[in-house]
Amino acid sequence: MSANLISLLVFLPVALAAILTITGRKHPGPTRLLNLAGVAVLLVVSAGLLVTGTGDTAQVIELGSWAAPFGIVLVFDRLSGLMLLLTSIVALLSLVYAIRRDEDMAGPHFHALFQAQLFGLNGAFLTGDLFNLFVFFEVLLLASYGLMLHGSGRRRTRAGLHYVVVNLIGSTLFLFAVGALYGTVGSLNLADITLKLPQVEPDAVPIVTTAIFLLFTVFLIKGAAFPLYLWLPGAYGYASIPVAALFAIMTKVGLYSVLRVDSVMLSGNTLGGVIDTTALVAPWLLWLGLITLITAALGVVAATFLRRQVAYLIIASVGTILIALGLAAGPERELALSGALFYWIHTTVLSAGFFLLAGLLMRHRPQQGDAIAPAPPMPQAILVGSLFFAYAIAMAGLPPLTGFFGKVMILSAALESPLLAPVFAVVLVSGLVMVIALARTGSRVFYQSEATPGHPSDQPPTASRPLPGMGTTIAPMIVAALMVIGAQPLSTWLESTATQVSQSGAYLDAVMPEGILDPETAPGKFGEDHEGGQH
Amino acid sequence: MTNLAISLLIGVLTGAGVYLVLRAQTFPVVLGLTLMSYGVNLFLFVMGRLHTAAPAVVGASEQYTDALPQALVLTAIVIAFAMTAFVIVLALKARAAMGNDHVDGLHIPPARRTSGKPEEPRA
Amino acid sequence: MKAIELLAVVVLLPFLAAPVAAWSARFSRYAAAWVAGGVTTLSLAIFVWICLVQGAAMPVATSHAWIESAGLTFGFRLDGLSMLFAGLILVIGLLIVIYARYYLSPKDCMGRFFAYMLMFMGAMLGVVLSENMINLVIFWELTSLASFLLISYWQHRKEARYGARLALAITGAGGLALLGGVLILGHIVGSYELTDVLANGELIKNHDLYAPALILILLGVFTKSAQFPFHFWLPNAMAAPTPVSAYLHSATMVKAGIFLLARFFPALAGTELWVIIVSTAGLITFLLGAYTALFRHDLKGLLAYSTISHLGLITLLFGFGTPLAAVAGIFHIINHATFKASLFMVAGIVDHETGTRDMRRLGGLIKYMPHTAMLGMIAAMAMAGVPLFNGFLSKEMFFTESVRVAGDIGPVWLLPILVSLGGLLSVAYSLRFVHDTFFGKPDGDLPKEPHEPPGMMKRPVDLLVILCLAVGIMPALVVGPLLHVAVTGVLQAEPPDYSLSLWHGFNLPLLMSAVALAGGVGLYLLRRPIFRWHARSMAHLDARVPYNRLIELLMRSGAGLTSMVDNGRLGRIVIMTLVFTLIAGLVGYFHTAGLPEVRAALDRTVDGDPGDWVTWLGIALIILMTLVTVIGHRQRLFALISMSVVGLGVAMLFARFSAPDLAMTQLSVEVVTMILLLLALFYLPQQTRRLSTPQRRWRDGGIAVAVGGGVTALTWAIISRPFESISGYFLEQAVPGGGGTNVVNVILVDFRGYDTFGEITVLALAGLGIYAMLHNLSLPSSRRDPFGRIWSDDPHPLLLRTFTQLILPLTLLFGFFVFLRGHNEPGGGFIAGLIVASAIVAQYMANGIENAEAKLHLPNHGIIGAGLLIALGTGVVAMFFGVPFLTSAVAHFKLPVIGEIHLASAIAFDLGVFLVVLGSTVLILLNLGRLTKHAVAHPDYESIEASPASDSTRGGRDA
Repeated sequence: MSANLISLLVFLPVALAAILTITGRKHPGPTRLLNLAGVAVLLVVSAGLLVTGTGDTAQVIELGSWAAPFGIVLVFDRLSGLMLLLTSIVALLSLVYAIRRDEDMAGPHFHALFQAQLFGLNGAFLTGDLFNLFVFFEVLLLASYGLMLHGSGRRRTRAGLHYVVVNLIGSTLFLFAVGALYGTVGSLNLADITLKLPQVEPDAVPIVTTAIFLLFTVFLIKGAAFPLYLWLPGAYGYASIPVAALFAIMTKVGLYSVLRVDSVMLSGNTLGGVIDTTALVAPWLLWLGLITLITAALGVVAATFLRRQVAYLIIASVGTILIALGLAAGPERELALSGALFYWIHTTVLSAGFFLLAGLLMRHRPQQGDAIAPAPPMPQAILVGSLFFAYAIAMAGLPPLTGFFGKVMILSAALESPLLAPVFAVVLVSGLVMVIALARTGSRVFYQSEATPGHPSDQPPTASRPLPGMGTTIAPMIVAALMVIGAQPLSTWLESTATQVSQSGAYLDAVMPEGILDPETAPGKFGEDHEGGQH
Repeated sequence: MTNLAISLLIGVLTGAGVYLVLRAQTFPVVLGLTLMSYGVNLFLFVMGRLHTAAPAVVGASEQYTDALPQALVLTAIVIAFAMTAFVIVLALKARAAMGNDHVDGLHIPPARRTSGKPEEPRA
Repeated sequence: MKAIELLAVVVLLPFLAAPVAAWSARFSRYAAAWVAGGVTTLSLAIFVWICLVQGAAMPVATSHAWIESAGLTFGFRLDGLSMLFAGLILVIGLLIVIYARYYLSPKDCMGRFFAYMLMFMGAMLGVVLSENMINLVIFWELTSLASFLLISYWQHRKEARYGARLALAITGAGGLALLGGVLILGHIVGSYELTDVLANGELIKNHDLYAPALILILLGVFTKSAQFPFHFWLPNAMAAPTPVSAYLHSATMVKAGIFLLARFFPALAGTELWVIIVSTAGLITFLLGAYTALFRHDLKGLLAYSTISHLGLITLLFGFGTPLAAVAGIFHIINHATFKASLFMVAGIVDHETGTRDMRRLGGLIKYMPHTAMLGMIAAMAMAGVPLFNGFLSKEMFFTESVRVAGDIGPVWLLPILVSLGGLLSVAYSLRFVHDTFFGKPDGDLPKEPHEPPGMMKRPVDLLVILCLAVGIMPALVVGPLLHVAVTGVLQAEPPDYSLSLWHGFNLPLLMSAVALAGGVGLYLLRRPIFRWHARSMAHLDARVPYNRLIELLMRSGAGLTSMVDNGRLGRIVIMTLVFTLIAGLVGYFHTAGLPEVRAALDRTVDGDPGDWVTWLGIALIILMTLVTVIGHRQRLFALISMSVVGLGVAMLFARFSAPDLAMTQLSVEVVTMILLLLALFYLPQQTRRLSTPQRRWRDGGIAVAVGGGVTALTWAIISRPFESISGYFLEQAVPGGGGTNVVNVILVDFRGYDTFGEITVLALAGLGIYAMLHNLSLPSSRRDPFGRIWSDDPHPLLLRTFTQLILPLTLLFGFFVFLRGHNEPGGGFIAGLIVASAIVAQYMANGIENAEAKLHLPNHGIIGAGLLIALGTGVVAMFFGVPFLTSAVAHFKLPVIGEIHLASAIAFDLGVFLVVLGSTVLILLNLGRLTKHAVAHPDYESIEASPASDSTRGGRDA
């Protein structure tokens, strides 16, 4: 049963994408409803699977009944489940906003591309096969290209062009990396490669390490680490608002791949019996994270309009998560990982909401849009302003909102690390810099309302009706509040998730119970030996 | 010897692709990306090592080449085709939107242009 | 439930009430005030009750797990210190609420004010009552945020916005430092609970991390309590409404830093480092504040600096690190809270009733508001440390302590002289506060006709002033017990014995007081020359200037560095990516290449490889054509053709090295791609302009060579060594399991059908994306071909038309054939799809799109969708048989001509592939061709190039 539900998470979106392709142009109304319903189902199913503890032991689905490593397997555990849940949450927010604001009408096939995007994301989060991961990267990228260019505009087209070209290079690199791994280790399945790494012959070891570093480079392009994030400010800053909000999950695909491959393939493994791979990439991740966080904080300062500022805030969160992933190679692995995941949830949901808030600014400040400059007061200025204040606090990592708690967990994971000093310095100082920058934004955009004598506070809060789509900017805040109140159960759950991620052994047993199989004698479909697969 | 030659070819294809991608106008960029895809497809292909007269068709010959990389390359070719199609049309859209075919929407050579704000190169 | 658990209620109640207050303001102006007052009273009542129940058992603490793994608990504690502070916060808070109710003008939004006020109160209570240190930091930062909101309450005023941001930046920075310090401290102790921390003073002081922890925590303290060199935010915070200044910036928030000193006294105090840093900062602040206060003309400015000065005094006392000094410090905290709060409220009344706070304009108010004047004078005398007022007692203690420890800090005479000087200055500015406001005569007329304020506005001040007197006259009786409890809380031990009496006989401290009093009066008398001297020499010194420079620097460097890295150019992005990739690859290689085992194994024999001179020649030709393409790339049509030759070459290589499927696919893709690119080129400039300088071309060339070299090396290293892969399995299982002999095709549709499914989705998406992009896009097209000839006007020449009509059925048949044999022989859905597609596209080309559409109406979107659904369906069907997605079934039967085939259900899947490929390809080419309809024929490009581009994104409006 659960197997079918898990499969549903990939096949429902693509089926809907196909259907919406047909209905999309003729019947906008039903198309919207179908899309909404689909996203809702994804949300319910992924949440349900997590709540019922389906992911507590890794669930494996052998597609085509071909056992790993010969067929492709889907692996559902808590980590991938969490990612799917996040995806559907962000998708719901963005879709509701798009519909309330008619952003989906700005061009054809928005809904089909939207579901295809979800297909790509979910596929990438679920697959246990490296080449299949490549394929789903392509699916989600092509869908994102379409969405990125949804609507029009000079800047958007230019940013889209850059985004596409960079990611095409990334895809090429991905093929080089996977190919090199296959050419030396002789497999594509993550678990199989993991099991075979220790037997790699010494002379192939440098090739394998090269391939691994190239592979992580690909992930870091998607994950937007310094200096590979240059595509992001443009792409997120100029995409249409709901798309930018949906993209909040995109960098996480890269980070997820980093975490997954590192924890399954590298941590606790050896390469050709020559070198322990636990700390092969982790230290580099830590340093990259530090640099990314610094440059991103400066970018937050430099931004001249809100969407760009949020884009850099996302990069900053990428830096923070990378730091945590780097620390995970240290003594406090569980704490570092659970901190990373806590921060992960926080930044994904809230940055989506923050983009939507910027969207409200653009719609209701006709001249200035979301520029960080004074403007005549907008409707609902007080509510929008308070929301901005809340988002700013949360994203800058000030209490009492989620960013702070994530940072505390990550920092306390750093206490045992030899890099205590740089980590503390960078995380705390960059936090301060972002606070200063956001305070400046807030006071320029919401306090410095020009052409209004007297107090802006004069207008009673009931001056105008709530703005359409405003709910989508409030919902993330509710999520954040719940995360704070329920921090105890959430953090314990995340901790055991971190434990599950750390124990690659369980993952390997689930995917390849018999260990390495000999191609010549391995059983065929349904475990039969060499007789046909009728049923 | 053939190994070396084909490695060289793959390198040249990729390098040529890189050089063209770095040209600042859309069409050469597309050509570059296509060359790159040739390169990486060949790379993926030779990962199964080179075999002559050994197609992976059961019963067609006595020895078989490694079929998996071929399947991967097929997938890769198709995806590359889709990507090329997309990016060349994007080049057209870019030209329509920006009024020229420069990847940054600029008219005068970047070399002679004094740097401006990132989000606002002159069109 | 134990009473102590209710502490959480005391803290959270104000937070919960804040939104209620804001909301209640809708109904009546004063509803918010009533809510605030009521809630404060309630919290106070609960708190008193807790103290009565638990008082004997202090210290008591309770905590509930919040984020266990990080040591964060939701915990509160009650001991003497927290009791004292919580009491101050609630009592003074209540008075301030009453006062503010009358202070605020009808223009001000009451709801917001009291909501912020309550938030602040709750945060402050949280700070002083927290048991868990991280918990404490959370509330600590909340006070900073709440004060940001309160200072910027009059947000239309520039100075209010500036003051708020300044305060937030400084105190926020301090809070982050504090967080770091607390984490380290907890790490040392192994627990974040204060109970454990306070009990482990020795362990902490002897730990290697003591110094960093101490410094970080002190940063928090000094920023919050406005200690030098972070003092300058406080005067700017005076832009807040006076009740706020009275509450935050005299009685409570600025005391939070001091509170922290007292709180960590047992854990951190007493070391040399502590004494040096804390007492130095305290002493400088004490003197600097007192000095500056004297020269402030604004009442609140004077009070602000005197506050800074008194905070310095208290800090200095704690800096001494002796128990008795702690006693004095606590005592002075109480006294300062009372008299400074009343002074602020008096200043507020004066401002409220006269419309100005400038002492140069004020004067003689005693005639108009004797009552207020009286209050002002008493409080001021307390501040000056005149006997019989509470300030005197704590100041005496302070002098006594400084005399006692003088020996340890510098020469014996130095400290007493300096502190007497400070006392002297405070006498002077107190005198000025009183005299310039209430005596003399106003120069010029005041904005308003002054008169006594409404009675309720004075009651709070009355109360506090009476306290000042009561404490001053009979300290032991009034404040003795409280002080004892509080000090016990600070020291976490029985306090040393001290005497709370007015008269200690003639001694040095008394003399110092006398000197201070006399000197202060004298200084005030000859103030004019001193003021002139100050105006000439000192006035221009302002600590804000370096701060502003720093912020300015941050902003500029931020913008500068960012645009340096991120200049929005594709070239930059690509180069960064490639260079990073190269470095990553090299790092990865040399990470292990040096290892001895690897070195030993590296010199292995390259196993022989197939091939002959024909192959080598072919490869050489392809390389040549690639280079030609690069060199000639500026002639676009030429480059396109030479590149297609390269593509053909690659196909040849596939064929040569036994990959017929690849060869066929590559060929058919090549054809379609070329049609595509040719169509596109029709709308693009025919030449590539040379934009880049020679050095840039060299740089790009370098990068290209490096990348190419790397790829070559990697490829050669891999393929010149043997390996074994998993693919033997596919040969074994292709026929029995997959029902096909063409292993590649079986892998595609069965073993790795999921990949193929993703792949066709990509193709479909490309189709949709392209359709969306071309959707009502209109492009200029050249009327001439690349060689300058006019394009033929005949849209569809007869010959072509008839020919295509002739071959259409043939190609369709061929496609069908290729499709069917695919599973066993080279071929398959994808290739078939491309063949048929190109045939159909040929039709469109020949007959023109309109006619063709009239003839064969292809619903491409439908075809694509259907294809996807069929492919998906064949996979999902399996799931109804209880087996995973895409599990195939095989059936055997004979067909004429084609012969015996294993018809695997995978064939249906392949059909899906076929349809998607067909649909997408036709859709793409069709819409590209359709552009000609919109295409405005244009003699040349340049006019288009010059035309301004439309822009609908709002993004860069500000740029």
